[in-house]
Amino acid sequence: MIPSMTNETVDIAVIGAGPAGSMAALHAARLGRSVCLMDRNAKVGSPVRCGEGIGYKSFIRHVGSRTEWTLNKVEKTVMVSPSGIRVNIGNIDESFILDREKMDGDLAAEAAKAGAKLMLSSTVTAINRTADKKYECLTPGGTITSSCVIIADGVESRCARFLGWDTAVSLVDMETCAFCHVASPLIDRSTCVFYTGTTYAPGGYVWIFPRGKGVANVGLGINGSKSSAGRAKELLLAFIDKELPGSHMSCLHCGGVPVARAVRPLVRDGAMLVGDAARQVNCMSGAGIHYSLYAGKTAGTVAANAFKNGSIDYAALKDYEKAWRKTYGKQQERSFALKEFVLKTDDAFLDRIAASLSKEPPEKMNYLRVFTRAFAHNPLLLIKAVRLFG
Amino acid sequence: MAVKIDTSLCDHCGTCIAVCPANALMLLPEDFIIDPALCTTCGSCVKICPFGALELSHE
Repeated sequence: MIPSMTNETVDIAVIGAGPAGSMAALHAARLGRSVCLMDRNAKVGSPVRCGEGIGYKSFIRHVGSRTEWTLNKVEKTVMVSPSGIRVNIGNIDESFILDREKMDGDLAAEAAKAGAKLMLSSTVTAINRTADKKYECLTPGGTITSSCVIIADGVESRCARFLGWDTAVSLVDMETCAFCHVASPLIDRSTCVFYTGTTYAPGGYVWIFPRGKGVANVGLGINGSKSSAGRAKELLLAFIDKELPGSHMSCLHCGGVPVARAVRPLVRDGAMLVGDAARQVNCMSGAGIHYSLYAGKTAGTVAANAFKNGSIDYAALKDYEKAWRKTYGKQQERSFALKEFVLKTDDAFLDRIAASLSKEPPEKMNYLRVFTRAFAHNPLLLIKAVRLFG
Repeated sequence: MAVKIDTSLCDHCGTCIAVCPANALMLLPEDFIIDPALCTTCGSCVKICPFGALELSHE
């Protein structure tokens, strides 16, 4: 029995149905374009490869008040230095801990409801450019032909390479991560905790993000340059053993977080790169959900408007890159510069910062103070850092 | 020398693909493919794997 092949022609092919791809497909479909939204997996959003933390303001800004996607609201943030000094960072943005599985599933469904054709279990194995400048995305189930392609295939960023984009990252520009759910009475539902230091997480940090009901997302990322086979998992288990003894672990998974310069350019004739695939991630925090939501929405909108104006070449699509640079691009570049700096420091550096910060009253704490302390001896970086969270 | 995978340890996260400078790796839902013609045995994938599913071995 030969399975039937679906060959389709649409205006816009979106590769990847994570937050970036689904937002692109949703907004392009709403503006009247025919869209195909492809994902490799049989189910969108699963398994979750994410700490699931996002700043409260960022969340509301990009998706509105979608409380069905939020598991917990966290008011307090504590940073633990390598030698164990706890700093209460009181006044920094509150956070939501998200249910990414639900959010990702709902976003893809919304894109489908707006008219995008959702194709699951559809790995793109190659992309061809035809003589008449169309893109052909080859999947096991058929070929999708389109005038425009939006590439949102996540951390791997393999599809962009079919078009000649160099998106591979070096080890030092990748955090390798292991994470799980931990149930323990030691978890404080009101507080997100970050553990730093080379013993727990060389070149990265451990996160405890409470989901409520005595459960937290516990995970860590280590810098690729400090990694060896399986080290992330080994360090995670050691951390949980030490700091959350007697707890129950489930949903153990792993993944990568790029800590690289965002790809440039983000646009070619008829093609746009969004999300983790574009390395649109904050290199200090690993935060990327808000960047992906913004980039996806912007790319989908710009592409749809370009169709209306009759051209989808580079000149028509570059407004997406301009908007990215203006809104988040410069901040992302600064985060990369900061990451490069911090990677060269030692545990004593973070201990010094924590010691001086712990003398500040928590209610006076804000990002400005944190970075003033951190970079007092590096005025150039201070100038960049002060605007990092502006 | 060749890169070998232990599929029982692989979580399908794709981090190895992100760091492969030679574009030698591909992840399908049921399969992990290493192209020996492209692989330079640089070992980046082995080092980065969070679950230690990859190794460089002598054939």
